[in-house]
Amino acid sequence: MFGLIKTWKALEAKGIMGINRRNADYVLKYNKRSLYPIVDDKIITKQRAIEAGIHVPEMYGIIETEKDIDKLKDIVKDHTDFVIKPAQGAGGDGILVIADRFEGRYKTVSGKILSHEEIEHQISNILTGLYSLGGHRDRALIEYRVTPDPIFKSISYEGVPDIRIIVLLGYPVMAMLRLPTRQSGGKANLHQGAIGVGVDLATGITLRGTWLNNKITKHPDTTNAVDGVQLPNWDGFMKLAAGCYELCGLGYIGVDMVLDVDKGPLILELNARPGLNIQIANDCGLTHRAQAVETRVAELKAKGIQETAEERVRFSQELFGHVQPHE
Amino acid sequence: MRSLTLHLKVLIFLLVALGVSITAYQIFVLGIPVTEDETDDLWNIDAKVEFIASAREPVKLQMFVPPLNQEFVSLNESFISNNYGVSVNRVDGNRRVTWSARRASGKQTLYYRLVLTKRYSGEQAKANGPIFRDSLPVEGAEKIAAEALLSPIRQHSADVETFISEAIKRVNNVEDDNVKLLLGGDASTANKAGVIELLLSIAHVPMERVHTIRLSDDPQSPELWLRSFNGDRWLYFNPETGEQGLPKDRLVWWTGNDPLMNLEGGRSPQITFTLNNSEMNAIRLAKLTDENTDADFLEYSLYGLPLQTQQTYQIMIMIPIGVLVILILRNLGGLQTLGTFTPVLIALAFRETQIGFGIILFTLITALGLSLRSYLEHLKLQMLPRLSVVLTFVVVLIAVISLLSHKLGLERGLSVSLFPMVILTMTIERLSITWEERGGGHAFKVAVGTLIAASLAFMLMNIQALTYFIFTFPAVLLIMVGFMLAMGRYRGYRLTELFRFKAFLKD
Repeated sequence: MFGLIKTWKALEAKGIMGINRRNADYVLKYNKRSLYPIVDDKIITKQRAIEAGIHVPEMYGIIETEKDIDKLKDIVKDHTDFVIKPAQGAGGDGILVIADRFEGRYKTVSGKILSHEEIEHQISNILTGLYSLGGHRDRALIEYRVTPDPIFKSISYEGVPDIRIIVLLGYPVMAMLRLPTRQSGGKANLHQGAIGVGVDLATGITLRGTWLNNKITKHPDTTNAVDGVQLPNWDGFMKLAAGCYELCGLGYIGVDMVLDVDKGPLILELNARPGLNIQIANDCGLTHRAQAVETRVAELKAKGIQETAEERVRFSQELFGHVQPHE
Repeated sequence: MRSLTLHLKVLIFLLVALGVSITAYQIFVLGIPVTEDETDDLWNIDAKVEFIASAREPVKLQMFVPPLNQEFVSLNESFISNNYGVSVNRVDGNRRVTWSARRASGKQTLYYRLVLTKRYSGEQAKANGPIFRDSLPVEGAEKIAAEALLSPIRQHSADVETFISEAIKRVNNVEDDNVKLLLGGDASTANKAGVIELLLSIAHVPMERVHTIRLSDDPQSPELWLRSFNGDRWLYFNPETGEQGLPKDRLVWWTGNDPLMNLEGGRSPQITFTLNNSEMNAIRLAKLTDENTDADFLEYSLYGLPLQTQQTYQIMIMIPIGVLVILILRNLGGLQTLGTFTPVLIALAFRETQIGFGIILFTLITALGLSLRSYLEHLKLQMLPRLSVVLTFVVVLIAVISLLSHKLGLERGLSVSLFPMVILTMTIERLSITWEERGGGHAFKVAVGTLIAASLAFMLMNIQALTYFIFTFPAVLLIMVGFMLAMGRYRGYRLTELFRFKAFLKD
């Protein structure tokens, strides 16, 4: 009992944010329920992003009804590789990644050969809501296949590593690189066993990481050190994430991005209830940073100043960046 | 935001204050018992009248009975007599029963029975009485003796109250010559009362005789007390000792100078009082009192509902307790459960199956349902058809369990009625969806959490004393709502987070 109180005090001193605080002070306060569809439906997110001039993987087409499935051939005829996703899927279920064509058939990233009918059956499943939250009817999204930048090769196992930045009122407050592991089955979700690696907001150099709620320094599959890696085009990521506030109107979001070999930073999806493990990855609490941003916003509001995304990024980098590396 | 917080604080304060004050009013002012086991004294008074009727005359017996306007509540009153007509009438603040018969002979026995309790008596009517009286006529030596007694009484008293107690003390001093003269050698209480009355009447202080019964199991006859009205309330005096104030266990039977009984057409009347004390469950007593008096303090409580509905509400009113358990376990403890309401519903289902059997049943059927689900996974069925198959399977499974346990002579298995079945199928459906979305490990964790929460909620919801308390004092729910509102803005860590973030403390 006494030990628990001590733990409580220590966590509070470090500014670690708990679920109750996140929900009461941030999610409920800044995220209007009516805006949730923008982030829950990947198609709406994508359309909003395109309108705002924010980079996303190019959309090849949408399939809304069983009848539309016939259009698939037209949609993909110019592309040898593409991705089929449920618009409201969760946890990466139902995503089909086609890497190549082979004698009129399709080849997935893992090398499995699929016929056109099998792909149509998969889309039909998506439409009936097999993968959507609560089993609602859904839409299928066909988009550009992201090829991850080779920089991640040494610290990643299969799948596409992504970068999550928590954005409060347009200010990036914390960033994390999520690396799939053998255990997570190529998915970049932390609770499925992926690794989260903290990122210095100012420099884009990786810090140490978290795996299953523990702190780690090496990738469990490749045994390469995860810290000290310079992420390319870091300022691009920061600007992209900061711009998502205007895009969706939600004040507290997690922005998931990827780094494509050709197209650079792209937005994958937005999350209205971003997880809290990013704190372990960065070895830093969210509360103090969030409060600093709230103070800043209140000050600017009093003066009537509206900051641009670039100015907000600069503010965050100066205040939260340049973390002292561990010796 | 700050004004919102203030708003919330005011709301919580109002709810809690309202809840506390309504409950306190019920407990302290209405006197509703706090626990079901609380009992109250119930007095059963039997007055048995015996006499010998003369054969040729009609019989008429008049007897005083308690006026029932005191701080006792009568629950039942009966006049038991064979072949006698009974009528009750009010005379000068007394009540008198008249038994009459045209023809009777031999030994006659009549009963009067009264059941009363002290609790739940309503407001007392304002007392009223004379504050002046004329002197009784007195002549000669007695007049002088009375005057001689009165002058020291006047000297030693300040008001009516002290005057009367001083007079009683003087009259009880039988060695005094003046007293001796006035008593005329008869030192009975009745005679003393007469002398006291004479003295007081000369001073124009009114006085009345009061005949009381003591609430105790000992055999007794009515005890004489005196009382006088001081303009505001009655003052009671013991004529033997001058002691003031009627003890709490006295019941006024009648007032005035008339004898208890008045018999025509008979001889040697005798009365015996038998009192006995029984204890009664306080809340049942309250309900009885409600029926027998115009005090209707239970009228607007849940006890005013028909019995059948009451039983339903006794279950329903415990649901917020269950929800509170879930709220605490989830938001303070960090336990993961299937939704908010499902564990409470499972707890309600446990009421019918009993907890031990319920847990086994729940685990067994859920496990079988989920294993079927994972088999169906291979068939690549769509979600809705797959769930339909699972639910149908569950119904069949429950039927089979019931059948088997019935054949084996275990009546328990039959306790699965419609309600637990619906809840079980719903649980499996939700668990399958969780499995689909978050994986098997998470589904297992959630299932165990749900079971723990449901068991805890069931145990709390089944505490008889708690059920009684909340059913009787539903305002407690307002206090609970206040707590729930406060929880709505709780920002501290959950218990599990203390372990989840432990990595921060290892450096």
